Amino acid sequence: MSQYEVLNKDKHRQLRIKTGYGAALGDAVMYVMTYPMEFRDIQSCYPILFTKDPNTGGFFAAAVMGFEADQNLFLQDDGWDASYIPATIQRQPFLIATGGEGDTATPVVSLDRDHPRVSQDEGEALFDVEGDSTEFLNQKIALLDNLHRGLQHSNGFIDALLQHELLEQITLDIAFNDGSKNSVQGFYSIAEERLYQLKGDVLESLNQAGYLQPVFMAVASLSRMRDIIERRNRLRV
Amino acid sequence: MEDRISRIIIVGGGSAGWLSAGVIAAEHRIDSQAQQPFELLLIESPDVPTIGVGEGTWPSMRATLQRIGLSETDFIRKCSASFKQGTYFRDWQTGNGDTYSHPFTVPANYAETNLAPHWLALTDAPQFADAVTPQTALFADCLAPKQITTPEYAFMVNYAYHLDAGEFAELLRQHCTEQLGVTHVKANVLQINAAENGDIQSVTTDCAGEIAGDLFIDCTGTRSLLLGEHFKVPFQSRQAYLFNDTALATQVPYTEEDQAIQSCTQSTAQTAGWIWDIGLPTRRGIGHTYSSAHVSEDEATAQLLAYIKEIAGDKAAASVVPRKIRFQPGHRREFWHRNCVAIGMSSGFVEPLEASALVMIELAAGMIAEQLPPTREVMDIVAKRYNQKFLRHWNQIIEFLKLHYVLSARNDSPYWQDNHAATSIPEKLSEQLLLWRYRSPWHQDAEAVDELFPTASYQYILYGMGFRTEPRHTCSHQQDQRQAAELFQKNAARATQLQQALPSNRELLNKVREFGFQKL
Repeated sequence: MSQYEVLNKDKHRQLRIKTGYGAALGDAVMYVMTYPMEFRDIQSCYPILFTKDPNTGGFFAAAVMGFEADQNLFLQDDGWDASYIPATIQRQPFLIATGGEGDTATPVVSLDRDHPRVSQDEGEALFDVEGDSTEFLNQKIALLDNLHRGLQHSNGFIDALLQHELLEQITLDIAFNDGSKNSVQGFYSIAEERLYQLKGDVLESLNQAGYLQPVFMAVASLSRMRDIIERRNRLRV
Repeated sequence: MEDRISRIIIVGGGSAGWLSAGVIAAEHRIDSQAQQPFELLLIESPDVPTIGVGEGTWPSMRATLQRIGLSETDFIRKCSASFKQGTYFRDWQTGNGDTYSHPFTVPANYAETNLAPHWLALTDAPQFADAVTPQTALFADCLAPKQITTPEYAFMVNYAYHLDAGEFAELLRQHCTEQLGVTHVKANVLQINAAENGDIQSVTTDCAGEIAGDLFIDCTGTRSLLLGEHFKVPFQSRQAYLFNDTALATQVPYTEEDQAIQSCTQSTAQTAGWIWDIGLPTRRGIGHTYSSAHVSEDEATAQLLAYIKEIAGDKAAASVVPRKIRFQPGHRREFWHRNCVAIGMSSGFVEPLEASALVMIELAAGMIAEQLPPTREVMDIVAKRYNQKFLRHWNQIIEFLKLHYVLSARNDSPYWQDNHAATSIPEKLSEQLLLWRYRSPWHQDAEAVDELFPTASYQYILYGMGFRTEPRHTCSHQQDQRQAAELFQKNAARATQLQQALPSNRELLNKVREFGFQKL
């Protein structure tokens, strides 16, 4: 279970955050949410697919790291084997909550008290003895700020993909070397045939909104699928 | 070419008029650029109010809405729609609290395996529907047929809708006039003008002048202004088979805002009819349809109020003022005469058991859209086929509805006794019942590809109501035995899975309101 609290220097003065990566720290996930502003980094390591939020049915972009629930093929004994770690992982256990409503809505930094990274005695401190935020926390806040803007930009991106019917459902039927098979459902990819039929004015509007480059990055990212299949093949079951 | 059919006039709005307009216009795209000019006008009386009763559909409505080009999210939001997964019958067998379900999902592997004889051979079996489909396991907890992540019109278990017919007609009107190029004329038809050859040439209206057309669609309700009044096509009563001729309809609010919305139409048998209970998101539509020859209006009202009292309390029952609707069960002798075809209540009406009214409109409009005669010359051929087909549909409706009464073991009132009289049973139904004692209905029992009630529905009613078919130990039966056992097992497992995965109807409808379904 999660227990979210708005970050407070008095209440959270003593808290520490465990760094590093591992299943015990909550990193054993099959995919994480990503957003177009992050696609350049993501596509260098992970395939980008699209899936639906089970709570709202809304689409979001996902960096895929495995073929079944709780399977992260990048996790190894000594950490996370990739040159880039998705921002939605790096930000743990923090998140942006929105205080107030409508025009007065302000993003506030919050954290999940029940997250396995939260500790009383191990890891990086959030505040120093004077009660000022540490460099570690400042970095996390900067990251959250990027993430927040990235996710807002992403809403328009997803709307544009749907408007131009640029998503299509895919089923990943994969046979691994050990003879096992996996059929991964619930994912969508860029509909390439329709993408290549888009006319000038549509392409221009997508480009101006900053949506065109990430579309092609998502297409290109699918070549990373080979890498995670190989990672799966190397697993000793 | 003078006798091209290019101008269609629909007289009458409501679900029948607007649904027909939508289906036909969507197929024939009213488009000034088109090679063939095509016009569709709907004349609606501004003085006839729409009736806002809840109504049930069949799953075919999903395809119909899609065909018309409506988004499911819009439809659900604007028509107070909820999901209907079948009908739940109470007190139909003995009147002592017995229940069974008629779900929309056909039995597992129905195309290849007939599970009925295998179920009949089981000792200590669950109810038929529970054994052959996971769908009925969702009914007790009022679960939805899909998740918010399921694309629009797609499903995890097959479903139709409960909807507000008044709001539905309004949404269709808006869509037809704004998206599909249908012209809406608000006027009263005063007079019907015949052409020399006996066709309808035009109608004279009070405030829109004379309106001419090539094909006239009569959606004027029970009045049947064109087919009945003008052409004098006789009405054929079928009350000898289906006794119910009166309905008392009302609406009951939910007792709590978050009260569960039933997954099925609830049908509870009474001493001379039955009570429907249809759960919309905003309220329940409840009514009693009965035979006025078998029970007085006072007694029928008392039974309706007793039902409402039981489900919604004394206060709800006290504030109910039921609206009385008289109807003659039956249909016109023919439905398409010369250049006039009747759709909806102008063509016929029977009690709403098994929700045949809207699906008949879909079938009629669908056939007209597809078979629309290009010239007057071929119209009579299309009309002849249409009449044969729709007479078959009406006969099937009457036989299938009567099946519910014939199978009942109730003997507690003259109504149920009369329902068992041999003269009250259509001959074909008697034959079928005799045959089904030795062989369960399956694919060979379907007479046409577009039958209104699929053979699986007969299985659900027969075996739901305790009918027995003698076992026959044929080769295929022996061969299928192991597979049947597997299917029963898989079905139970799937039921558990779905129970865990699916939200309640209320929860999903709230999400549709907030987020909507995705199109893919």
